[in-house]
Order: sequence, then C-alpha cells, then structure tokens
Amino acid sequence: MGGMESEVDGILVAAHELKAPLAVLRQLALGLPGMDVGGEQMRSEMVSVSERAIRQVNDLTRIRRLEDGLFVMEPVAIRAVCDEVTAELTCLFNYNQRDLCIKYSNRARLVTANRDLLKSVVYNFLLNAMHYSGEGARAELLVRDFHDRVKVVVRDYGPALPMDVWREMKQGWVKRPTSIAMRPGSSGLGLYIASRFARAMGAKVGAVRHRDGTSFYVELLTSKQASLWT
Amino acid sequence: MIYVIDDDEIMAGCIARACEGVDAVRVFDNAIEAVQALDGAKLPNLIFLDILLTGPDGFTFLNELASYVDTAKVPVVVVSSLDFAGWDLRVYGVVEVLDKATMTPEEIRSYAEEYC
Repeated sequence: MGGMESEVDGILVAAHELKAPLAVLRQLALGLPGMDVGGEQMRSEMVSVSERAIRQVNDLTRIRRLEDGLFVMEPVAIRAVCDEVTAELTCLFNYNQRDLCIKYSNRARLVTANRDLLKSVVYNFLLNAMHYSGEGARAELLVRDFHDRVKVVVRDYGPALPMDVWREMKQGWVKRPTSIAMRPGSSGLGLYIASRFARAMGAKVGAVRHRDGTSFYVELLTSKQASLWT
Repeated sequence: MIYVIDDDEIMAGCIARACEGVDAVRVFDNAIEAVQALDGAKLPNLIFLDILLTGPDGFTFLNELASYVDTAKVPVVVVSSLDFAGWDLRVYGVVEVLDKATMTPEEIRSYAEEYC
C-alpha cells in the first residue's frame, strides 16, 4: 500500500510541475494579438498542444480521486462517447496525416461506466494509436457487442508492443508509466492512465499484438438499464 | 487599482495584460509585499490571487485580508491550478475561482471590468 501511495504522490508532483508551464503557454497563446495566417496557425497549435497536455495532466491528478472512489458509475451511451472523442481528434489525425477509421457493430447499447473516465480511456488509446502509426497509416476504432459486454478496440499499425508492456496489459493494467524503448518519445503515460481508469470502473483492458501493430481494448459491462429499452 | 499576486512572473504578466486599460495594475510575487502594500494605502478594487506562492501561501493572505473590516470587503479572484471544486471560499471574500489551465484573458478582463 505504501508503494502505491508513493507512486501516486510522485505522479501528483510531476503533474503539478507540468501543469504550471502548460497553463502559462496557453495564456501566452491566447494573449497573442491578431496575426497573419501563419501566426494564427501557430497560435492554434500552441493552444492545441497545451490543451492536450493539460488534459493528460488532469487525468493524472484525477487518479488520486479514484483512490477515494469519488466518481459516479452510470449508464453511458458508448457510441456517443466515441463520437465525441473522434470529433475532437479528427483534426489532429488529419494534421498529423493519419487516417482515423470508425466501425460500429454494436446495437448502440448503454454500458456501465463513468462518462469522463471512459472518454479518457478512448482518448488515450486513440492518441496512443496516432503517435505510433506511421505517416499516412490508419488507426481503427471498433465497438462490438459481446453478450453482456461491449468491447471498444483501438487498432494501430505501428511497431509491435514490447513484451513487458503487453504482459502488464494482459494482467489488466499498466502499473506505472515506463519508457517504451521500441516506441520512441513515449512514457506509456496514456496507457497507464487508460488502464487505471478502466480498472477503477471494473472494466477489463488488454492488448493484442499483431505483426503490423497492436490492438488495445477495453471491455465494459452492459448497463442493466439498457434491458428496459431493447 | 488591481493587485495581481502570483510568483510566476509570466503568468502574472498575462493577467496584468488582460486588465490593461481597465485600471492600474500592481504585481506582487509574494503575499508579504502585498500585505505591506495594503497597509495605509488606498485599497485595491480587485485582487487576482494565486494560492501556491513562495513563502506564505494564498490562504495566509486571505486570512490576513479577512482579519480587518476594510480589507475584508476587497473582492478576490483566486487564480490557481489547484482543484477547488466543492470548496466555498466566499467567507474569504473570494468572488470567483479561475482555473489557470482553462481561464481566458477575456474572462480575466470581465472580472476587472465588473469590479473596477
């Protein structure tokens, strides 16, 4: 338990350290006077980069609240959450010359989850897929029904997932952010956050290694309330 | 007069710039100097206050402010990266809490215009 405490404390320190300069960066960008087209693009990039980083840092700080159980589980429309996240990320995918493909093969059922945490899980999986897919490659978001569960899968076409991370995902969660040598520029933070949030919601996360990439998935229980409607 | 109390010089500058043209702005990088400036001077119309300051923190400053009849009436806008959801800071004269990560210059300016 002490190890867990120190891990969370360390993350909180890191999060606050990161948040302050990001907030400053955002204020500077917002404070820029009207410029020409190039300047406007730079401004929007500064805002976008900082907002994404702030979101990730906010996710980290939210981990402390998971310990206290300060979140509500409710029936959530999984498609609506996926639509919301993909709408947010489509521009970013286009900007980075990645293709985002969405396939729904479920019956638009409700799942039992916390909406904010679920959104973060899908967001982090997709962001992870974008980072590790090559230029021009595509990432796929699939939502499928499995009996009393709904499975959300994010498939990328990047380098294969290292064995150690895959083993941790197989056990249900990533214990701490770790450097992923085969995937440069990553601390595995997104996967760590996603797995912690999924675990807090009683959902199952995992990964499947392919020759040409990786599929990350989260399995959520279907909401019993849904049975009233279907 | 608007006081901006923040030990992050750039952030303080951003807040001060957002208030430009509304009222005169004084920037302090610590709570002690801000309290000393209040002593005997004309009271500010509004204070933008960070909480995690070098030295005495924002709550120490708020307690000091609340200890005197005149300074207790000065409206304070807390600007912080900390999460104050569920906290009631009105007893300290806090009229609003702005999250540094999401606030905008327009929002900052709107409070300056409202209270100055």
